[in-house]
Amino acid sequence: MILRTPPPRKRRAESNPPEEGSPAGRLVIYEDPPSPQPESSPLPSDHLLCTYQCRQMVKAELLDNYASMEKTIDENQSKLVTLNENLLTAEEEGKKYRDQFLYAEQELAAARGREQSLQDKLLKEIKESQERLTKQIQQCNELEVKLQKEESMRRSSESSAAAAEEKANRLERKLNQLSDSTERERKNLQDELKHLKGDSKLSMSRLRAELERVQCQSSNAVKESEQLKKKLEEVIKQLNKCLQEKNELETKISSFTCPEEGSESSQNDVLLKHLQEELRNYEYEVLEARKLKASHENIELVKEKLIEERRRRERAEAELTKLQEIQLSMNVLEDELASWKKILKEIPGVESSDDVPLKFVALQKEVIDGMAKLGEANTRLKQLEVALEGAELDKKNVESETALAKEKEESLKLEIKELKSKLLSVNEDGDQLRTAYNELKQQTNVEPGYEAVGRALTQGLESSLAQKDTYIKELELNLSEHKAANDRQRNEIRMLNEKLNSEARKIKSLERESDRLRSEIALLESKLGHGDFSSANTKVLRMVNALGVESEARQTIEALQCELQKANEKLQVVEELKKQSADAGQLVDSYISGKIVQLKEQISTLEKREERYKTVFADRISVFRRACCELFGYKIVMDDQHRSNGIPITRFTLQSIYAQSDDEKLEFEYESGNTNILINDYAKQRDISRQVEIFIRKLNSIPAFTANITVESFNKRTLS
Amino acid sequence: MASKTVAKDIITLRGSAAIVSEFFEESFGKVKKYGLPLLLTQDEGVKSFIANLTAQLSEWLEAGKLQRIVLVIMSKSTNEVLERWNFSIETDNEVVETGVSREKSDKEIMREIQAIMRQIASSITYLPCLDEPCVFDVLAYTDKDVAAPLTWIESDPKLISNPQMVKLHSFDTKIHKVNTLVSYKNDDDDELDEQ
Repeated sequence: MILRTPPPRKRRAESNPPEEGSPAGRLVIYEDPPSPQPESSPLPSDHLLCTYQCRQMVKAELLDNYASMEKTIDENQSKLVTLNENLLTAEEEGKKYRDQFLYAEQELAAARGREQSLQDKLLKEIKESQERLTKQIQQCNELEVKLQKEESMRRSSESSAAAAEEKANRLERKLNQLSDSTERERKNLQDELKHLKGDSKLSMSRLRAELERVQCQSSNAVKESEQLKKKLEEVIKQLNKCLQEKNELETKISSFTCPEEGSESSQNDVLLKHLQEELRNYEYEVLEARKLKASHENIELVKEKLIEERRRRERAEAELTKLQEIQLSMNVLEDELASWKKILKEIPGVESSDDVPLKFVALQKEVIDGMAKLGEANTRLKQLEVALEGAELDKKNVESETALAKEKEESLKLEIKELKSKLLSVNEDGDQLRTAYNELKQQTNVEPGYEAVGRALTQGLESSLAQKDTYIKELELNLSEHKAANDRQRNEIRMLNEKLNSEARKIKSLERESDRLRSEIALLESKLGHGDFSSANTKVLRMVNALGVESEARQTIEALQCELQKANEKLQVVEELKKQSADAGQLVDSYISGKIVQLKEQISTLEKREERYKTVFADRISVFRRACCELFGYKIVMDDQHRSNGIPITRFTLQSIYAQSDDEKLEFEYESGNTNILINDYAKQRDISRQVEIFIRKLNSIPAFTANITVESFNKRTLS
Repeated sequence: MASKTVAKDIITLRGSAAIVSEFFEESFGKVKKYGLPLLLTQDEGVKSFIANLTAQLSEWLEAGKLQRIVLVIMSKSTNEVLERWNFSIETDNEVVETGVSREKSDKEIMREIQAIMRQIASSITYLPCLDEPCVFDVLAYTDKDVAAPLTWIESDPKLISNPQMVKLHSFDTKIHKVNTLVSYKNDDDDELDEQ
C-alpha cells in the first residue's frame, strides 16, 4: 500500500503583496540626502529635477499625492491584511481539504488494499476450494477404484465361497449317497443272505423229503423183496411138497406099476428131470434176478451219489462265483471305506466315524438355522430395501441440493466478478478524482483567485468522497455477506457431500447385503425345491409297493402249486406202483418172467448208462487231475481206506513233477474236512521236516508247504 | 364334495382335502375333468394302489400333517431317479385347528387345477425322453409326529443330483396351497461326463 502524501508547498513569496516602507520609485526629492538605496537600481525619476517653486509645487503636489498615497496605502494595507487573512483562512481550508483529500485518498488506498486483499483471499479460497474439489474428486475416483477392486474381490470371494459351499454340498450329497448306497448294499447283501438261507433251507427240506421218499421207496422195496422172498419160500415149500408128493406118487407108482409102467416111469423120470431142471433153471434165474436187483440198488445208490457229487460240484461252482462276487463287492466296499476315510479326513472337525452322525446333526441344525436365518434375512432384506429406497430418495434430494448449491456458487462467483468490475470502476473514479484534483491544483496555482470554484470543487469532491465511502462500505458489507453466504453454502455443500458419501456407502452396503441375501435365498429356495428337508420336523414315507409284493407272492404261490401238482402226480404213481406191487404179489408167478425181462432190460440200460457215466467221470476226473498236476505241480493219487472203527479215510499221495526220485512223495490223510500230513521217509528228511514244522505245524498252511517244496525242487532241477 | 355348499362359495377343510386328494386320484384317470381329457390307468393293481394312497393322503391332509407329495419316476433297471414331481402343500393351520371356513369358488379352484394339468400335459416338450422301462413311487413328506401306517415305511428322499427344475402353476383352496415343481435329471451332465 502506498500512501501518497502531497508534496510540500512552496511559500508563494512572489504572490505576496508589496511591503510597506519600500521606495516608491515614482518621486525623488533632489535636496534630500540620497536614500540608502542601492545605486545599482537607478531610478527612472532622475531626469525630473527642477527648481524651488517647482519644488514647492511639486512638494505640495507630492504631499497631496503622498497623503492620498498614504491613504491608499492604508487602504491597501488593510485590504492586504484582510486578503492575507483570507488567504490564510483559504490556505488553512485548502490544507484541511488537502488533508481531508489525502485522508480520503489514504482511505481509498486502504480500501483498495483491503479489497485487493479480500480479492486475493477470495481467489486463494476459490483456488483452495477448487484444489480441494479436485482432490476430493481424485479421492472419489481413487475410492471408486478401490470400491471396484473391493467389489471384484468380494465377487471373487463370494464366488469362491459359493464354490466352496457347492463343494461342501457335493461332498455332503456324496456322503449321503455313499451312506445310502452302503446301506442299500448292506440290505441287498442281507436280503441275498436271507434268500440264500431260504434257498438252502428249501433245498435241505427238499433233499430231506427226497431222502425220506427214497427211504420209503427202499423200505417199500425191502418189504416187497421180503414179501417176494416169503412167497418164494412158500412156492419152494409148495414145490418141495409137490416134489414130496411126486416122490410119494412115484414111489407109489413104482410100487404099483413098477413092472408094468417102467417105460412110463422112465418117461415120467425124464419129465421129472426136465421139470427139476426147469425148476433149477428158475431157481437160478430167481437168484440171478436177486443179484440183479441188488446190483440195481447199488446202481441207484451210485447214481444218487453221482447226483449228489454233481450237486456239490455245482454248488461249489456257484459258491465260487459268489465268492468272486463277494470278493469284488469286498473290494468295492474297501474302496468305499477308503474313500469314506478320505472324506472323513477332508471333513473338518471330524476325526473318527463316530463324529460323522454328530456332524450330520450339526449340519442339519445348520440347515434349520439357515432356514430361520433366511426368514430373518428376508425381513431384513425388505427393511433394507425400504431403507435403500429412502436413501436413494435422500441421495436424489442431496444431489439436487448440491446442484442448487453449485448454481449458487456460480452466481456468487458472478457477483464477485461484478464487484470486481465495480471496484475497478471505483478505482477509475478515484483516478478521475485525482486528475480532477490535480487540475484544480494547477488551476489554483495559475489562478489563485478562483477560491469559490475551488470551494465548490472541494465540496463536490467531499460529497463524491462521502458517496464513495458509503459505496465502499456497502460493497464491503455486500462482500462480507457474500462471503458469509459462501461459507455457509460451502459448509452446507461439505455436509451434503458427507451425507451423500455416507448414503452412498450405506446404499452400497445395503446392495451388498441384499445381493448376499438374494443369493442365499436363491440357494435355499433351490435346495427346498430340489426336495431337501429338515429332518427335525419332516420325515419321508413311501407306501410299500403292494404291486411288486403281490406279484412275487403270486409267483411263489404258482411255483408251490406246480410242486404240489407234481407231488400229487408222484403220489398217484407211487400208489399205482403199490397197487401193482400188491397185484404182483398175487400174480408173481405169471409176472415174474415179464418182470425179470423188464428188469434185465432196465439193468442193461442202467449198466450202459453207468458205463457212460463212468467214462465221462473218468474223462472229467483225468482232465481235472491233469489240470491239477499242471497247475499245482503234483501228481495226486487218491486212495479210500477205512479205519478200524469204520470211519472212512481218504489218503492222498502227492508226487511233485520236479521230483528227482520216486521216493519223493508226500502223503496226506483227509478225514471229514481235515487234512494231515503223514510222516514218511521223505518227510523225515531234515529240510523237509523243518518245512513241515514251519509251514504246517506253525503256519497251518499245506499249500504254502507244497508250493515251497515245488519251488525248491524246481530250483534243484533247473540249477543242477 | 357333498359337504361343500357351492351356493355360498364356502369351502371346508374336508372339501379342500377331498379336492386335493381327488386331484391326485384323478390325475391318472381317463375322464373329462377340469375341462380336459385325462388318462386313467386300466391296471387294477395300480388303481388299488392309488386308491389306498389317496385314502391315506386325504387322511393326512385333513389332519394338516402332509407337507409334500412327490411322484418319483425311476429307471427300472438301475433305480436311478429320472423325474421328480414335487407337490408341496401349505396348509392353513388355523383352519385345521379351529375348523373355520374360507371363501373361494369351486370354479376358480378348478381353473387353477386346469392350468396345472395343461402345464403337466405340455411338460413332455421339455422333459427328457424316458426310453427305458420305468417304475414310479410316491413319497409323502409328513410331519415328524405322524405315526407311519403299516403299509408305509420311511424312505430316503430319492433326490436327483444337480437337477433341472421347472416350476409350474400352483392352486389354492384357501386352506391348502399346492405348489407344483418338476425336477429332472440333467442330460447335459451326462454329455459332459461322456466328454
